[in-house]
Order: sequence, then C-alpha cells, then structure tokens
Amino acid sequence: MNKQEFIINDEAVESTLEKNGENFKVLVGEKEFVLQPMGNNLYATYLNGKKSVVAVVKNRDVYYIDVDSVLLEAREPSAEGFAGGAGDQAAVKDKIFAPMPGKIVKIMVAVGDEVEIKQPMVIVEAMKMENQVNAKAKGKVKAVNFAVGDQVDTETPIIELEIEE
Amino acid sequence: MEKLFKKILVANRSEIAVRVMNACKVLGIPSVAVYSEADARSKHRWYADEAVFIGPPPPRESYLDIEKIIEAAKSTGCDAIHPGYGFLAENPLLPQRCEEEGIVFIGPPAGAMKLLGNKIESRIKMAEAGIPLIPGMKSSGTDFEVVKKAAEETGYPVMIKAAAGGGGKGMRIVREPGELKEAYEAAQREARNAFDDDTVYLEKYIANPRHIEFQVLADTHGNCIHVFERECSIQRRHQKIIEETPSVALDDARRAAMGAEAVKVAKAADYVNAGTVEFLYDESGNYYFLEMNTRIQVEHPVTEMVTGTDLVVEQIRIAAGLPLNEHLGNLTQRGHAIECRIYAEDGENNFMPSTGKILHYSEPCGPGVRVDSGITAGMEVGIDYDPIMAKLIVHAPNREMAIVKMIDALHNYKILGVKTSKKFMVDVLSHPEFAAGRTFTDFIEKHLAEREVDLTGYAGIAAALASVASVATPANNFNGGGTERKMPSPWELLGSWQIGDSIHE
Repeated sequence: MNKQEFIINDEAVESTLEKNGENFKVLVGEKEFVLQPMGNNLYATYLNGKKSVVAVVKNRDVYYIDVDSVLLEAREPSAEGFAGGAGDQAAVKDKIFAPMPGKIVKIMVAVGDEVEIKQPMVIVEAMKMENQVNAKAKGKVKAVNFAVGDQVDTETPIIELEIEE
Repeated sequence: MEKLFKKILVANRSEIAVRVMNACKVLGIPSVAVYSEADARSKHRWYADEAVFIGPPPPRESYLDIEKIIEAAKSTGCDAIHPGYGFLAENPLLPQRCEEEGIVFIGPPAGAMKLLGNKIESRIKMAEAGIPLIPGMKSSGTDFEVVKKAAEETGYPVMIKAAAGGGGKGMRIVREPGELKEAYEAAQREARNAFDDDTVYLEKYIANPRHIEFQVLADTHGNCIHVFERECSIQRRHQKIIEETPSVALDDARRAAMGAEAVKVAKAADYVNAGTVEFLYDESGNYYFLEMNTRIQVEHPVTEMVTGTDLVVEQIRIAAGLPLNEHLGNLTQRGHAIECRIYAEDGENNFMPSTGKILHYSEPCGPGVRVDSGITAGMEVGIDYDPIMAKLIVHAPNREMAIVKMIDALHNYKILGVKTSKKFMVDVLSHPEFAAGRTFTDFIEKHLAEREVDLTGYAGIAAALASVASVATPANNFNGGGTERKMPSPWELLGSWQIGDSIHE
C-alpha cells in the first residue's frame, strides 16, 4: 500500500496504490483503476468500460499524462517553486505576461486606462505569428513595463493592473 | 533501376525533410541533410545518408541562406536539391542559383514560381486565361486610402491579404469599415515580418466557403494532369489543421470540371513539377481560383493514400526529365483519407505555440495509419521554427471509418512534454457537423469557439497514473522487456498433458 497526494487541475487528489500481480490497482476516492504496464511509459486500462492505452512520464516533480488525447499534468505537492511559466502565471490576473518569448509589436493601453475583461492589451510576435494578449480581469492599468519593439520573456510582466473586485 | 540523380540535398528540416529522404531511398538515391545548431538532435539529421551543418538557429543564417545551401550541395557532390515546403521552397532565387551551378532544382522553373508567387500578377494572368476569380482589388498597395476605397467598392465583408503571402500570415477579415484600419496595419506588420514585404491587397470575403484544392503534376514533355482534390476547410488562424480527400462537396461532374480548370491554371503558368491549385468553393457550388502553390504541400499524403501514388517520387522523376508515369493516367480515388497536423501548440489555450523537451514519444500503427514525423523522444522543441512536429494520416474504405480510425490513432499517438491540439482535433472529428460533411472554413469559429474541456472527470485516472509512475522502475515499467522477462518453460506452454491416465493442469 502506498498513499500519495498529487496536485491536479489546482486541486489535491489522494491515491492509494497497490501492486496486484503484474498490474497496479489504484484507489482514488471511490474509484478503482487497474493499470496494466505495457512498457515504455504506456499502460492499458478500462475507462468507463472502454479499453484505453494511457501514457505517463515523470520529469522532475511533474507527471505528464495523456488519457484519450486529453493532456494532463500532476504535481507532487512538495514541488515548491515549480517554474511553470505560462501555466502558473495564467492564475495571476493582475500581471500580463507574454505567452512565450517574443517581440512586442503593439501596446493598446496606457497607464491609467480602465480595461474590461478580455480587452486586447498587447500583441507579441513569436514564431512569426502575432499573439494577442487580453486582460484576464477588469481593472486599471498600473504600469506598462515595455515599449513597442522590445524583446520580452515570459517571466517579466509586460503590463500590471490594479484589479477591481 | 537506373539512378536518376547521384545524390540529392534536402534543403529543409523536420518531417518534410524525412519525407523527401524516404522518396530518395525508394529511388536508390543517397540523400544529404542540412541542419542548424537548433537541429543538432533532430531526426532529419540522422535520417539522411550524410548531413551538413549550416549555421545558427535563425532561419536567415541557415535554412534561408541560399549560398550555404548551394555550398552544402557542392561540397557533398549533390546534383539535385529538393526544397520541401516553406523556407526556400517558393523563392525563385534558389532555382536560379541552382541553374548557374549546374544543379537540378526539384520543383518548378523560376519563371512559373515568380509569376504564381505574386498574387496580383497571377490573378491578372488567370483572369486572361478565363479562370474564375474572387472580386477584389486589381492591384496591391501600401496606401491605406487606396485599400479603403477598394473596400467600399467591393463591399464589406472584405479580406486583407499579403501580396507575398501564404500560411495565413498577414491575413485579416474585416466585417465593417471601423475595423479596417487596425486590420490593415496588423496585416502589414505580419507581412513585413514574415515576407519582408508589406504590400497587401483586398478582396471580397466569401461566407461559408470550403477550401478545395487540386493536386497537379506537369512534366517537361508537355503532359499535365490533376491527381484529384483535397478539402482543407478545417482551419484555425487561417491555417489548415485537418485535411481530407475526397471532398464530400464534389460530385464526379464538378470534380472533373474543377480538375480541368486546375490543369488550365498550371498550363497558363507554364508550370512543371508538382503544384497545387487552390479554390474557394461556395455554398452554391461556385468556385474561385485562390492561388497556385508551387511546392509539395503539407497535406500531400492524403492524395497519396487514396490514389496509391508517391508524389515526391514523381517530383524527382519529373526533375530528371522523365515523362509522367503511365499509371498516372488511370488513377482513381480509392476510399477516404484524413490528415491531422500535429503542432506543438496548446489546443486549450488559443493554439498558443508550446515549447519543451519531448519526454515520451510513441506512434500509432495499424492498417492504413501513416505517421510523417520529424521528432523523436529527447528532442527539444524550440521557438526557432514553424511548430509543426508531425502529420498523422489514415486511410479507410469510407469517410465514416476514416474518422473512427483517426480518432483512435490520435488517442494512441503519445507525445508528452509539449502541448498538442490532439484533443481539439478529436472534438472536431467527433462533431456531428463534421460527420455530416458540413465542413466550411469557419467550422472552428462557429462550432468550437466556446469549447472547453472538462478536466474534472480526468483527475482520478491522472492521480492513478502519477502514483504508478512514481514507483515505476525500468523493471516494472518495461514489464516483459529485454532479458529481464522470465520466459515460460516449455512445460508451462504445453497446457493439459497426460502421462498414463492422470491429467496434470
């Protein structure tokens, strides 16, 4: 028996693992999963009565998972300071980050502007495509940290907002 | 078999480079790869018989540097260059330089490429040849007032396009006059960055169209045929993601008419080699010439699957001066083929490009399942190049079976470490409107804009997999692999057996 906790979709999920002959039996809440190792990170299992081949691979403290083409990530709760990048920053609403490293081609707001949720704020060009970044909350522009033509990474916020609740 | 060329240099990277190398193998011709610093671990480097390092990651300093490509070909003794798609594939300077160096360019002549690469000039030429065109600007420009006037004359909605365009870059739909200026500026910026040319033009936007294109092949002996259509209506950001053939929209008469029109386009441009004539097909069955692509297309495999051809082999044969293979005159469409493009992008977040290391890679297989891939496990997917990693293609006796087969193949195509839009494509393929064949270019915008994947139902299996992976060792992960597997003894395999009268289980 092996009890563990993982963070999946921002929620803690507890599992109990048991070796069952060649297979693994895992209890998650009321649900029981039987996983047959096929080798090479692949497992066969029944999901809602249908047989599926699912995949999981661990890198540092993150598990990357494919279940019927749905891609999931599970983290060990101890994974402090998970670098995460865009994934983590998606939860932050008062800072606007570039989705990936690139060049700023347009800034549509200025300090003091009131912005609505989903309002376009900045366009970053990366991989030869323009990516529009929108406000994730209603608020007032507190700071614009870059200018058109600047190169940006995903760590420094381009725009900072004062969120209106 | 007589060798058509001594050696072929493949001036490209990733999946299309590997694809071209496969055609070289079939013809018994050694191939040479070129690779940048960013591709030191890429599949195409290892797949070729030889590989030449051509410089730093930025395309301008490697894959787009014509002199480096020519030098690589000369230093390895290549007598032909295949450009793949993208990069230098539609740059007429490459065939020109090849000619000067006595190297054969596997593609169209520079003249045809130049004409068809210029969307304005090719429109004029095709109008003269009697090919139906979408109403729009007669010439391109960079002056906003000219564009504005043309928009008013054509009538909204209009489409702004880059004159040097392709791949959805520099394209914008404008539904009302108030949106024109911003769209015009954005299109110019994108065009400038992608093609180094901010000339744009404008045309009438056709609602509910299908994108239907015809593959053509033309040899140096004056033969020109079409190899049927591909429907590529499923697009995001004006880029195709799912393609199929045959198109459900065409009956035999319409197919024959459009195919004949495509051949007419190729002939009007004095075209040689493989090319694709793109049409917009509207609800009433009208079709309009869009452009002719002067390269092998990303989606060429679906044509190969239903016709049993190898289009890259045909390209090489044509470039060697051979007449079109005789069997090409009697082709039929057998069954149905679908292709899904596997991009490194987040299908759940506006198709934002995704980067990272590929931690796990395994391909689906089975009858009628084809994977054209440029990636391997351990490879780093960066931001230097187009995010296409692979193409998954299926072939089945009919469309319904092809859809089922594709969904299953997507589920069994495991790429972990970077995001892909596999689930998004599964949702497209499972949509009742897709099943009904009502595939128009606004399909995604119309049916899947509000789509969200409910992940709550997946938390359980995800936790189960994480816990198994947390204790996985090579021994139990590779259950049954290598020499660790205890082979059953012959006695165990015998089943029930008898000695005398007693039965042993």
